[in-house]
Amino acid sequence: MRSAFSAALTRLGRDNPDVLLITGDHGYALFDEFRTACPDQFINAGIAEQNMVGMAAGLARLGFRPFVYGLSAFVPIRVVEQIKMDIAHDDLPVVLLGDGAGFVYSHLGPSHQSAEDIACARSVPGLTVLSPGDRYEMTACMDLAYDLRGPVYMRMGKADRGEVHAGTLSPLVVGEPICVRSGPADAPALLATGAMLTTAVQLAEQHGPMAVWSVPSVKPLSTEAIAAISRSSSAIVVMEEHSVHGGLGAAVTEIVTEVEPCRVLRIGIQDRFSKHCGSYDYLLREHGLDLASVKERVDAFTATI
Amino acid sequence: MLYRSFVRYPGGDPRHPDRDYLVLSKGHGVMAQYACMREMGWLNDKEHIERYFGDGSDLMGLSDSRTPGLEVSSGSLGHGFSVGVGIAEGLRRRGTDQRVFAIVGDGELNEGPIWEGMLFASHNKLSNLMMIVDANGFQAMGRTDDVMELGSIRQKLESFGFETADVDGHDQGALETTIRTLIDSDSPRPKALVAKTIKGKGVPFMEHDNQWHYRHLSAQDYEASIEALRAEVAL
Repeated sequence: MRSAFSAALTRLGRDNPDVLLITGDHGYALFDEFRTACPDQFINAGIAEQNMVGMAAGLARLGFRPFVYGLSAFVPIRVVEQIKMDIAHDDLPVVLLGDGAGFVYSHLGPSHQSAEDIACARSVPGLTVLSPGDRYEMTACMDLAYDLRGPVYMRMGKADRGEVHAGTLSPLVVGEPICVRSGPADAPALLATGAMLTTAVQLAEQHGPMAVWSVPSVKPLSTEAIAAISRSSSAIVVMEEHSVHGGLGAAVTEIVTEVEPCRVLRIGIQDRFSKHCGSYDYLLREHGLDLASVKERVDAFTATI
Repeated sequence: MLYRSFVRYPGGDPRHPDRDYLVLSKGHGVMAQYACMREMGWLNDKEHIERYFGDGSDLMGLSDSRTPGLEVSSGSLGHGFSVGVGIAEGLRRRGTDQRVFAIVGDGELNEGPIWEGMLFASHNKLSNLMMIVDANGFQAMGRTDDVMELGSIRQKLESFGFETADVDGHDQGALETTIRTLIDSDSPRPKALVAKTIKGKGVPFMEHDNQWHYRHLSAQDYEASIEALRAEVAL
């Protein structure tokens, strides 16, 4: 997934000299390919995220196409106000890349773990929020982010969870979920985003026939598409490596309660910080986001429908 | 004075792509900029000035970049300067001779991103950037020396790698000469001018009195202010 990111970034940079990669002193070897191909389009803004995002706005005003890279614990969290006033207020074409979303930095503790970014980004007017689930979605999201020519936050979670799609996707339509597998109307539909997508597919394989939808475009999110999923399933289960407050689960719930009510189970990070550190898989277990824990909750939920 | 002598707008167009950029980072000073924009012909009395602050007015209480002539939405302090640094970096990359003039307040210097931006501007030799500090010695709650003492602003900016100068911000001749000297310098460093000013200058009952950061003018105060300013201009 990271090589797909690097390849897409390098391709966009090579094809368009106005593309700039700006990093807050993060990314080290990740940008080797880009820096070799486009050495003059790389800016290290130092460990100074607020200034970095403000500068990206200034550069975008002149017609540059900044891709601003940081850890999602910092971009967007530390710089929500710069994103709001310097970038989104003027609909500037800046792509904000928040890496390490969720529990990627499992050993480092809560400062580097990121469970609030979607919630913050969703509330900024006009800011598109993307969250690719595998390498093919990554490539498609990068192309979409470039083509939208507006403010975009792209969330990058755990990158080595495997592939879900069989190959290159056709261009993404902003707001539209992607059907990964279809399922019967008397079973819940699974909606997942980011690193939880592979877990959703594994769950569907174990649980019996269930529809699985990937949601790379968290905002905007098509009201019609979510209503249709609600109509064609017995309930909805949303899975995300993000707080249950304000993330995809909240977005889906907001839509269905207005237009097509159904039961929604929100599987995500509960309202607390990690208690301990450890491996990524350990952190998933601690927060009940590993496959076994998720399956238990979904089975119990399904039994109540 | 900046509009008259330094900031270039080809064809008088506030959105011309070849213009210089006047970035008002201390967005609270936008009323002074509105007055200049009226003189430039970008605001008119009927649509803008008479409706100022009325329901549906385009002219906000703080700088809003959707109004041609205003480059940034500032007012949340510490934002505009970074955007200005980004514009200066972009102009450098474009290889043009356009300049960025970024006006910040001395109170605004409390904000961290200002110093982040100075580090970047200095490291990247943004000689097309001129930071102008409106050093009136006051911020919202009182004197800057009492709230967050800055010591010598000029020394701080110098130590951050800027080519600096001090000037009396009310002496138009000195301002013009000093800005010209900074602009004409061959130094690759970014430039900074510390303009010492008096808050409420020209209206004796307002000068050095921070309650006018907040107060509305009564009709009587308004007449007295205008009279004092007329006398000041006539001198």
